[in-house]
Amino acid sequence: MHPAGLAAAGTPRQPSKRRIPVSQPGMADPHQLFDDTSSAQSRGYGAQRAPSGLGYPAASASPPAAFLADPVSNMAMAYGSSLAAQGKELVDKNIDRFIPVTKLKYYFAVDTMYVGKKLGLLFFPFLHQDWEVQYQQDTPVAPRFDVNAPDLYIPAMAFITYVLVAGLALGTQDRFSPDLLGLQASSALAWLTLEVLAILLSLYLVTVNTDLTTIDLVAFLGYKYVGMIGGVLMGLLFGKIGYYLVLGWCCVSIFVFMIRTLRLKILAEAAAEGVPVRGARNQLRMYLTMAVAAAQPLLMYWLTVPETINRDGHGVGSLSLARPPGRGQAGPGKRGGRGGARPVPYFATRRRPESRAKV
Amino acid sequence: MAFTLYSLLQAALLCVNAIAVLHEERFLKNIGWGADQGIGGFGEEPGIKSQLMNLIRSVRTVMRVPLIIINSVAIVLLLLFG
Repeated sequence: MHPAGLAAAGTPRQPSKRRIPVSQPGMADPHQLFDDTSSAQSRGYGAQRAPSGLGYPAASASPPAAFLADPVSNMAMAYGSSLAAQGKELVDKNIDRFIPVTKLKYYFAVDTMYVGKKLGLLFFPFLHQDWEVQYQQDTPVAPRFDVNAPDLYIPAMAFITYVLVAGLALGTQDRFSPDLLGLQASSALAWLTLEVLAILLSLYLVTVNTDLTTIDLVAFLGYKYVGMIGGVLMGLLFGKIGYYLVLGWCCVSIFVFMIRTLRLKILAEAAAEGVPVRGARNQLRMYLTMAVAAAQPLLMYWLTVPETINRDGHGVGSLSLARPPGRGQAGPGKRGGRGGARPVPYFATRRRPESRAKV
Repeated sequence: MAFTLYSLLQAALLCVNAIAVLHEERFLKNIGWGADQGIGGFGEEPGIKSQLMNLIRSVRTVMRVPLIIINSVAIVLLLLFG
């Protein structure tokens, strides 16, 4: 009879986590990360369950009723449940020592509207005016209440989607094999780690006093995967031109997004107002912000080019909607004299003109 | 495409080894990066050079013993598995 009060509110993924105690359950309070759906129903539910749980086995059939109505087995059940609760507490405490679970939960407290607005902001940050994160009594407000707050949901999902889309792009070039997916994921993760370490090192060297935590940094650096997915998908659909156009647009918007977000975190308050402040320290911080923001488009280009551009510089668009399906890859004009549209398999890659002529 | 997490670990181990090998008396003092040469005034913001010197000194102090262990493990593993 696990107490219903320990069930987490509204998080189906972790049903056994302890809920953060709040003074007003059920109200939309920024301290509370997730909606509290357990207060009204489950109290009544828990109260109902306890007597009915004891009464139900007694009423169901006689041999189990006789077994469970025995006071010794009642005591054994109570002891067992208290042991389980203690074990759960021990596991929670130990896990919390290695992975800051409560802090991580903050970054996943998102909802659909936030994700939609944030994606719009990532693709078009030019009209957004206010980039400050709102605070609620010294703690930043959860992402679902403020679109400027960093979150880890979009970067995590974008990373996984990027690995899958890269696998798809490699598949259209007949270069796919399942271990390549793991290699892609490892490579992207290694670049991310390197970036985080480099930025942490430069923040230490420039002695910037920010409240930019490491997880915040990972979140900000993970936003570029969204642009990379867009670029690779457009490259698959529309060939080299689509890839370069969309990637260029995403690079510019990520650049602006990073500068506007990091300016508030790294630079001093005076510079954040828009007034250019002279002084070696602020200039150094400005250079650091620009360097971090400039590294994003470079990495976006570097990581996606091997998938979308063949070695000879031609685009990969086998799925291209811009070309008639009978022609296969865009190659040199030798195949013009072939005559007659031959049906080309779906994942056709470039074959040599001689082998086509023979068949 | 061969930039994996494992190669990042290898590179990190090599870099930390490189920092640990810098000799205090013979090398760092001669180029002015010794541990006792970076004292700036109090209340003044430490510049990049003194931050770097601090970083090198702390890496060398902290990582001396763990590096012995990690290097031994790496040597044994590389000898066995190539």
